[in-house]
Amino acid sequence: VTLSEGARAGIGRELGMLDSLLSFGGLVLLRDSVEWEGRSLLKALVKKSALCGEQVHILGCEVSEEEFREGFDSDINNRLVYHDFFRDPLNWSKTEEALPGGPLGALRAICKRTDPGPITIALDSLSWLLLHLPCTTLCQALHAVSHQDSCPGDSFPVGKVSVLGLLHEELHGPGPVGALSSLAQTEVTLGGTKGQASAHILCRRPRQRPTDQTQWFSIFPDFSLDLQEGPSVESQPYSDPHIPPVDPTTHLTFNLHLSKKEREAKDSLILPFQFSSEKQQALLRPRPGQATSHIFYEPDAYDDLDQEDPDDDLDI
Amino acid sequence: MAAVATCGSGAGTTGSAVATASKSNVTSFQRRGPRASGTNDSGPRLVSIAGTRPSVRNGQLLVSTGLPALDQLLGGGLAIGTVLLIEEDKYNIYSPLLFKCFLAEGIVNGHTLLVASAKEDPANILQELPAPLLDDNSKKEFDEDVYNHKTPESNIKMKIAWRYQLLPKMEQIGPVSSRFGHYYDASKRIPQELIEASNWHGFFLPEKISSTLKVEPCSLTPGYIKLLQFIQNIIYEERFDGSNPQKKQRNVLRIGIQNLGSPLWGDDICCAENGSNSHSLTKFLYVLRGLLRTSLSACIITMPTHLIQNKAIIARITNLSDTVIGLESFIGSERETNPLYKDYHGLIHIRQIPRLNNLICDESDVKDLAFKLKRKLFTIEWVQDNYLRQERNIYPPGFSYLLKQKDSAWGEGSLQHSTFLMSFLAKATAFASRLVRHSEPLKQTGSGRIHQAAGPRLWHDGRRQEAPGLLGIPP
Repeated sequence: VTLSEGARAGIGRELGMLDSLLSFGGLVLLRDSVEWEGRSLLKALVKKSALCGEQVHILGCEVSEEEFREGFDSDINNRLVYHDFFRDPLNWSKTEEALPGGPLGALRAICKRTDPGPITIALDSLSWLLLHLPCTTLCQALHAVSHQDSCPGDSFPVGKVSVLGLLHEELHGPGPVGALSSLAQTEVTLGGTKGQASAHILCRRPRQRPTDQTQWFSIFPDFSLDLQEGPSVESQPYSDPHIPPVDPTTHLTFNLHLSKKEREAKDSLILPFQFSSEKQQALLRPRPGQATSHIFYEPDAYDDLDQEDPDDDLDI
Repeated sequence: MAAVATCGSGAGTTGSAVATASKSNVTSFQRRGPRASGTNDSGPRLVSIAGTRPSVRNGQLLVSTGLPALDQLLGGGLAIGTVLLIEEDKYNIYSPLLFKCFLAEGIVNGHTLLVASAKEDPANILQELPAPLLDDNSKKEFDEDVYNHKTPESNIKMKIAWRYQLLPKMEQIGPVSSRFGHYYDASKRIPQELIEASNWHGFFLPEKISSTLKVEPCSLTPGYIKLLQFIQNIIYEERFDGSNPQKKQRNVLRIGIQNLGSPLWGDDICCAENGSNSHSLTKFLYVLRGLLRTSLSACIITMPTHLIQNKAIIARITNLSDTVIGLESFIGSERETNPLYKDYHGLIHIRQIPRLNNLICDESDVKDLAFKLKRKLFTIEWVQDNYLRQERNIYPPGFSYLLKQKDSAWGEGSLQHSTFLMSFLAKATAFASRLVRHSEPLKQTGSGRIHQAAGPRLWHDGRRQEAPGLLGIPP
């Protein structure tokens, strides 16, 4: 988890990606764990988008409707469209208000709407859906829902769709989590230290480098977000201020650096294999001592001193 | 290649044969059956399709992959009838670029395209293809672009190791033949008229399949079945399988399949380790390769292998594909801060090259290839500091650190460097030869010729004469 400059800068300069999570659209994956629960963040984001005037649909599968609506004031509660799959998930009571097709059918029905306008769908939890549906079907449905606005040839203009999914990381193996995160446009992993929660936000835009940021936050009882600076930056473990970094080039028994004169001398040295004009002249000039050099050779007992060329016998 | 047989000038009895031979243009071998074309040339007729060329090594017909550097690494190009599998990088940023370059190359050469995807509409994919650099002006810009990015250190000419500068660069920035291999500008889109002039077929899975289909176990997933049927129909309808010999102008079908194996295709190998359909993808590749081998087509597949949970499946997939390339990007990994890789965006691994009608494959001997996506261009290069890394293999680790210091007195060409080198290598040789001498018997007898280890200047009468200098004195 890296603390980027955005988290360290003042709050006024960049409110961070947590505020603008929903503006990108697509699938936003909230990964939480037992220590850092994500439902309050989910409710905070739902409240924010409801206050912005977007249409908000909730697919509640894991907790009851009363528990989910707790903490919201009546204004927001009236804006939420709640699809309850907690009370009767297998539709045993067979009432007419039950939606056909289960949660996926409800998702598709939401997307077949005709009014343009941004819409936010909160899946209360993706973990519940993963445990009850095959992973591939869920991935295909999520992809179809979240990419509906990218088709240019549609008959009616459809607004931006954001899907917020809550995923409990410990319930699933690396496979489904990896598959869902490769589909997601934004991935928020909850963590924290010493009582303060942080959100590591990884934003994948298509064909661009993913950007990540860590944002410290806390949530008020009325589910509004409070972005924070983060705990005081502790001294990094590897740069201890008491011990200065060791420079290995000191206290050497040999000379490591070149002085300017030495470097000039080195650069002006002509290497033996470089063919320069002086060398050419030296080679072309007849050398004075050439006639006086001899080679003395004493043959061994096993040397063959036959002067004939053995290849002379060949007749080509 | 068909050999043109000439009938030799013979005796008078063959006079009539000569007469008939001269009438039928040179050869005395009569072709059985009607001639396909009534042309006069009976010499060897090569298949010449736009955008292809025969390989100089094994005669296979090759098409360009869209990146000339990649073509070079694969031994000239991608052979027709084979599959190029690209293992996607983690955030899927660079593999779509290779995919699009392949398709753009098909459009520029006039090949037929078949684009299959479960994620994006093929029409959208085609709109985003990169524009080709066709004229000389853009070529000059591209040359400048390349040379402007050279770091200052690489401009120091090496004086001692000057032969390393003569090594060929990866990019052939010379004149690229306009018929094979083009450069593409990743920042511009392909002109619309080129797309409209091309012949393409698209397969978008959510349109072709209804979601309520039941999946039978131990069989191909319905998405794969539909795709194979689609490909087979196109091959048959447009005569890529050679079923219509009368047709003179042949063309190549380029197939591109994106994100194969991801959950959007209905395959759960990325979700579970032992899924119900774990053989679906391998069967698909097997059938696809059969379809490709019997037609004039080449296929590119991108696959998110980093998501596949069962590693044995990855090995099977590699064996079932012909050419396999893996992309590893540095984003988010610790290699991002490694100074060795500071100019590059990722590594490219060539995992497999096929042996087509050959006993050996065309593998290049360079193992450390990295790629970078500059503003316009995707280039593949050797990781630099090749020279120093080779040194690190010989020298103790601390020494190469000293070598890398700027203005070091231990740089190449200095007296310290060469003295150290000589003494270090001499010690290494002496150590090795000491090991050899230990295997000799202590006594040297006249008949013990075969027991004596090979040493310098061994004489038959048992006397040994040591070479003066670096080797140690025998005990």
